[in-house]
This record gives sequence, structure tokens and C-alpha cells, in this order.
Amino acid sequence: MTTALASPYAAEYQTIASGLPGQELPWLAALRSEALEKFSEQGFPSLRQEEWRYTNVSAIEKKLFSPAATVAGRSIDKAWLKLYQIQDAWSVVLVDGHFSAELSDLDELPENVLIMGMTEALIKQSETLEKYINKAVNAEEHGFIAFNTAWFTDGLFVQVAAKQVLAKPIQVMHLSTKPEVLTATRTVIVIDQMAEANIIETFVGLDNAYLSAAVAEVFVGQNADLTLYKTQFESEKAYHFSGTYVKQERDARFTHHNFALGGLLARSDLHTELGQASECELNGLYLGVKRQHIDNHTRINHLKPHGISRELYKGVLDDRARGVFQGRVIVAEDAQKTDSQMNNRNLLLSSDAEADSKPQLEIYADDVKCGHGVTVGQLDEKSIFYLQSRCVDEEIARNMLTFAFANEMVDKIKIKELHDMILEQVLTRFPQEGVNKEWL
Amino acid sequence: MSASAQEINNLINQEYKQGFVTELETDTFPPGLDDSVIHKLSKIKNEPEFMLEYRLKAFRHWQTLKSPEWAFVNFDPIDYQSISYYSAPKRKEDGPKSLDEIDPQVLEAYKKLGIPLDEQERLAGIAVDAVFDSVSVATTFKGKLKDVGVIFCPISEALRDHPDLIKQYLGSVVPHTDNYFAALNAAVFTDGSFVYIPKGVRCPMELSTYFRINAANTGQFERTLIIADEGSHVSYLEGCTAPMRDENQLHAAVVELIAMKDAVIKYSTVQNWYPGDKNGLGGIYNFVTKRADCRGDNSKVSWTQVETGSAITWKYPSCILTGDNAVGEFYSVALTNNYQQADTGTKMIHIGKNTRSTIVSKGISAGKAQNTYRGLVKVLKSAENARNYTQCDSLLVGDQCGAHTFPYIEVKQPSAQVEHEATTSKISEDQLFFCQQRGLSAEDAVSMIVNGFCKEVFKELPMEFAVEAQALLGLSLEGSVG
Repeated sequence: MTTALASPYAAEYQTIASGLPGQELPWLAALRSEALEKFSEQGFPSLRQEEWRYTNVSAIEKKLFSPAATVAGRSIDKAWLKLYQIQDAWSVVLVDGHFSAELSDLDELPENVLIMGMTEALIKQSETLEKYINKAVNAEEHGFIAFNTAWFTDGLFVQVAAKQVLAKPIQVMHLSTKPEVLTATRTVIVIDQMAEANIIETFVGLDNAYLSAAVAEVFVGQNADLTLYKTQFESEKAYHFSGTYVKQERDARFTHHNFALGGLLARSDLHTELGQASECELNGLYLGVKRQHIDNHTRINHLKPHGISRELYKGVLDDRARGVFQGRVIVAEDAQKTDSQMNNRNLLLSSDAEADSKPQLEIYADDVKCGHGVTVGQLDEKSIFYLQSRCVDEEIARNMLTFAFANEMVDKIKIKELHDMILEQVLTRFPQEGVNKEWL
Repeated sequence: MSASAQEINNLINQEYKQGFVTELETDTFPPGLDDSVIHKLSKIKNEPEFMLEYRLKAFRHWQTLKSPEWAFVNFDPIDYQSISYYSAPKRKEDGPKSLDEIDPQVLEAYKKLGIPLDEQERLAGIAVDAVFDSVSVATTFKGKLKDVGVIFCPISEALRDHPDLIKQYLGSVVPHTDNYFAALNAAVFTDGSFVYIPKGVRCPMELSTYFRINAANTGQFERTLIIADEGSHVSYLEGCTAPMRDENQLHAAVVELIAMKDAVIKYSTVQNWYPGDKNGLGGIYNFVTKRADCRGDNSKVSWTQVETGSAITWKYPSCILTGDNAVGEFYSVALTNNYQQADTGTKMIHIGKNTRSTIVSKGISAGKAQNTYRGLVKVLKSAENARNYTQCDSLLVGDQCGAHTFPYIEVKQPSAQVEHEATTSKISEDQLFFCQQRGLSAEDAVSMIVNGFCKEVFKELPMEFAVEAQALLGLSLEGSVG
């Protein structure tokens, strides 16, 4: 039946297979070959798949990116890196899909906290990883997941032991430095019961066309608390996919902040499964300019009673940009007393921009409180009028309000250094008059 | 809480009151579908040549299609060869000229349904087209309508008498290539209503069609076409019932509405097909394509539907807002109980400037039913200052049912304003307690709360229908009022 492979990537696989980490582990080898088979059949997702109906990734098939052969750690411009790096944090730097020891900083790590590159972890922690890899993610879901499982070259493994509260955030940098390169990284984050951590995933790249396809699996233990930040500043020629798949145990709290500013075509998947009385808060901001296509896909699966979920995604779309929001809340039969609220707000600034929104509620329990809201539209005319009546020029008033609309999401960041860094990036999108830093 | 919940459950399970069968001598095609059936159908209806071609073209297209599977409903594949595509009460030669000639059995059936075809009866303000299985058996007030120029007749009659209008408009809103069931309908539709309101005429009375499935083993494929010419106004009602049977019967209808400049069409449905029994056995599959084209500037189409019946409901009455300042409205109450499944909603396509649309959808799910709202609001680049407001609320009664909301919002015009809001909850204990504490019984309280929940939609229905709809909902939630 595989007379023609669904994707040219599959044909290339054998040339890189031997270099992939963990090939000597039978369980991983089995996962990889299964994933390869799946991917060879399906290829990357097509528009015919309901969850991908607004995002066409066929350009990735046409480009045929290849994995980076060598690590280019040395040639990284430190000043450029600093723009995106938090100083007061443990940092892990992945360059073109490979862990760079010299750029990473893991000094003074508490004893019961493990942070290491995935290649290293597959050697030292393979038994632990076997319990987690492919456990939070549904391998059948779509081609990118199978692709990542088969192709991943490195990544990150974090395990925070029970009751450990991390003093500093952990930042993992996914750098893409070369043209036409594909990076596939796999991350496993395990926060054991009652532990607390802040983790920042940053995606940046030099001004090239490349493909970055990352998958993260996150396990938040009983009564544990994890805040995950995703800051996506890929180059404006880049293709980006990142999937974060979360499992929350009883009473676990999970907060996610998603800042999607970069990429020519960027898709983010965020799925979480809630246990009894667990809570999740998902915040997102996507700013699209030029020909950017930014797709945010979230799924909140309430499996047990008393769960709480809150979601707010905001989009500002200019030029010919297209913003997509697909949010799905599922409340299982068991999940009585679920309280769920989802909101999506879009601002269209240009007549060539487009916003597509698909919020979904799928509810099988009766004693629940669920709602969602979507708006697509313009700034409030009354607010503009108010500012005008206070002698603010109309254009400046619009800029101020647009910025304020986006800034609400930035203000939710609790880490000062990160807040300032993201604000800086958001401000690059608001060069106009009326948005000055003084009044921030 | 459990006591009141149980009461609610008991009360919901009321009997289907329109489930009788009328014993009649009928002309029925043997089951099966091929070219010869379509030739025969066309011949029996005495259709012009172009219709036969149209049907055959649709049939060829249908053969290339696969039954769609995207909807949130489950059913065994339908065997299209085991359905009879035509069934009609035996006719005396040319068919009835007046009411006296109609089979008294048929008249009796309609009387039982509360739809007296006798023009002197209490529904004097409404003209009725009564469709019995595959044919229209009577149309009342034809003469009175003719005086003002309104054409209201069975579509098979329109095919013979007004071929120009048919040629111009049939399939112009829902082409035979639209979807699987639309293609099937185009190939084998048997009857339905045709309405033409001439320029500037305000239709003097409500028009109404009453669909009745009676024969076993048949499908009903009706086709309705309403054209409101410039500046005209019409309000159209539709009702449906079927006997109780253990088998599933297919009802695949197509409704096309065309509103010209300044025209207003109001289309109301109270759908009460047999929903199947408590164990999900039997019931009608209601797979319907309904679409309105607001072609002219300032035109308006308003869909109101109360969906209480059918084992499976699958329909999306839509508006294409082509003209500038066109208005589309959709008000819906969908009640599902036992094993009923409903996947219903609307599409609002904004093309013209300043087009406005309102969607209010209320879903009530009880027993083991699944109730889905699926809707699309699409604002094209040309639709400057388009405005949409959507509200979808779902009410869950019992812990084994499901309520789902799948809206799609696509906006390509920055001056457009689109708002969507949805909530899902159960009947609030507090509200129930409050009502009971004021002396209402649990069932009255539930009925009152549900009616209040649906009020926004009911107030859009014409008087007679509003009463019927409220009674229907009331019945579903009543029982032993005491």
C-alpha cells in the first residue's frame, strides 16, 4: 500500500535514522518505527482534517527541510541570544535541535531536580523516560506528532521531585540558526506532587526559512503547580509547530502563557487533561503582521469532577495576516461540577487580515457551568471618542487602545524579567505614535 | 436534588400523540432506486421534459457521492434500495378538484392532527397545503390568494403551470451538487409547496404546509420553493408528524427561499416527526437542507424552528446575505430526549454591505440524547460593517445526555463586528427551589423554567404556532400535573 509515500520526508528518514538518540533502546526504537510508519502513510496534516481546516501546511512538504548534521554552538551571537534570555534562570539551549552544553547554564541546581538534554537523559534516565514518552500525547492525533516522535534529535528532560519549590525559572531556548534546516525536539517535564516550577520555552531563529517542530509532554503531579510560558519569536520566514500535551493529576494547577509573535506559519497545540479538582488557566496573545499565519489550537479535557478551567486568547491581526483560534472544552460524564470559561477576542486592523475562530463545547455531564465567547471586531468607538474628548488625536487613541488590548496579556506575566523581555518584543510591533514606554 | 431530578425524568417521558396510522389504499412504488424509478416518477407527475433531465443529472451526481459523516450523530448506514420513493393515496382520475373529493380517511387523519382542511374551520386565517406521503392532497384558500396574485400550490402543480419560474429558481439556492441529501432530493423529490409573492404584495394570510408521513417503508422527499419578489412580505409555517414505527424512515427535504429587494420572508417550523421510542427504536431521520438567498438590498429572511421530534435531526437553515443591508435571523429551540440526536444550527454568509444577522439557539437535552449546535458565521471582504450576534444556550436535564456547541467564525472584513456567546448549564437548583417554595409543583416549575429559557425564540413564532410549540415543550416536561 505504500507505493507512494505520503511525504517526501519519509523517504529521507533512513539517511538520518542511525544518528538519532536512543536507537539502542528497544522501546524507543519501537515507538519510532511505529511513528515512522504512521507518518509515511499520512504525511503532514491536510486541510481535510477538521482540526486543520484553517491551516495549510503543504508548503512544508514542498520545501523538504533536512535535519542539521552538526552543532553550531560556537558561532552563536551572544548579544542576540541575550535579547531573549532571562538572566536569573537555569537555562538550557538547544541549537538546531541539539543540546549545547556551553551555552546552557545549570549551575547550583537543587539535588532533587533533574534538568538535562534529551540525548543525555535517554542514556541516564531511560527507565524514567519510558514511563513518560508518548504517554501524554495521542500518537494518532496528527502527522506532526508522529513526525516528531520519529525524527526528534534532542530536547529537554525536567523532573522536579515532590515538594520541591524551584526558586528560579527554567528557560529552554530552541534556536534555529541555519537555513533550510528542520529541528525536531522532544521535551518531557515531570513535576511531582506538591512541587512548584516556572518553565519558559522560547523559540527564536535567525532570519532564515526553516522548520521547527517541537513536542512537549508535561505531567503535573498531585497538588503540584506548574506555570509554563511559551514565547514564540521565530523568524518571519519560518514554519513552526509546537505541541504541548499536559496531564494534570488531582488538585494540580497548570498555567500557560502563549505569546505567538513569529513565524510565517505557526501552529501551536495545547491540550490538557484535568484530574479531580484540578485547575488550568490558558492565556494567549497572537500578533500577526505581513503574511503571517498563526494558528492556536487548545483542548481542555475535563475528566473528573470539580475541575476549573479559564481560557483567554487575544489576537491582533494586521496587513495580510491570518489568525486562527480553535478551542475545545470537553466535559466527560464523570466531570460533574466543572466550571469552564473560554474567551477569544480578535482585533482586525486591515481589510486583508482574517480571523477564524472555532470555540467548541462538548459536554456529557449535566451539573456544569460552561461558557464561551468570541468577538471579532473593532476598537470600541466610545473609548476612542473619550480619548478624543481628552485631546488625544484619533490615530494615537487607536494605537493606544490597540496596544492596551494586547498588553493585558503581557501584564499577566508574573516574572518581572520575562515580562519586560516580552513587552520589549510586543513593543517592536507597535512602532506607531501613541505607544510610548513612559506611561507603561 | 435527586427527588426533583427523578421527577423531571419521569415527566419527560410522555407519549407521542400523533403516532397513529391511517389505513388507506395507496399507489406505492416497489422499493428501489434507479433510472427507471425516476422516469416513472416524472411521468406520474406529468412533468415537463427539463425536469426529468434535471432529476437524472442530480441522480448521476448523487451516485458519485458518499454519505457524509462529519455530523455529531450516529446511525447505521441507510439502504437506499430498500426505500420506496413514491407513495400516494389512490386517486380518482385527475385528483381532487375540491375538498369533497378528497379521501375522507385523509381528511380524518388531518382532523386528528388538528389541521382541519375545511376552510370554514378555526384556522381561518391560514392557507394550508397538506402533503400526505409523496403528494399534496389539498391546498386551501387558493382562490383568495389568487385574487392578490399570490401563487400557492403544490410544487408538482407549479412544475406544470409555472415552468418558467421553476426553471429560473429551482436549484438556484441549493444546487443539486450541494450535498449528498440535496442531490438525492433533487433526483427523487415528490411534492412540496411552491410560493410566489408578486411585487409589492403583502400576503394576506399565513401560508402553511403540513407534512405527514403515513405509509411504511417510504421516504419523504419534499421540495419547497418560496420566492418573494420586490417589496413583498410572506410568513410561512411548516409542521410535520409521522406514525410510530419500529423502523427508521428517511425525510430528506430541500427548502429554498429567495428574497428580492425589500422583501421579507418569515419561515417557521414546528418539527414533530416521530422521535422513536424510549429505547431509541424507530423514528424519522430528518436530513434537511434549508437555505435562503437574500438577493436584493434590504431583504430579510427569518428562520424560526422548534425541533422536538425526529430520531436524528440534521439541518442548518442558512442565509446568504447577498444584498446590501440584508438581514438574516435564526431562532431555534431544539429539544432532544431519550436516544434522539440533533445536529442543527445555521450558516450566515455575509456578502453585502451593512448586512446583519442574529442567531439565537436554545438546546435542551434530556435522557440519553445528544444535542449539537453547529453554526458558521462568515464575513467576506465585501461585507463592510457587517454585524452578527450569536447566542447559543444549552440546558441539560439528567446526567446521561450531551450538549455540544461547535461554532465556526470566519471574518475577512475589519469593520465587521461578530459576537458569539454560549453557555451550558442545568436547570438551576435555586430556581427550582424558588418556584417550589412559591407553591409550584416541581413539574410546573421545570416547565416554566424551560419555557422561560426558550422565550426569546417563541416570541418570534406566529401566534398559533407559539401556542403549539409551548404546548409541545410543556407536554414533554409535563405528565401527571396535579
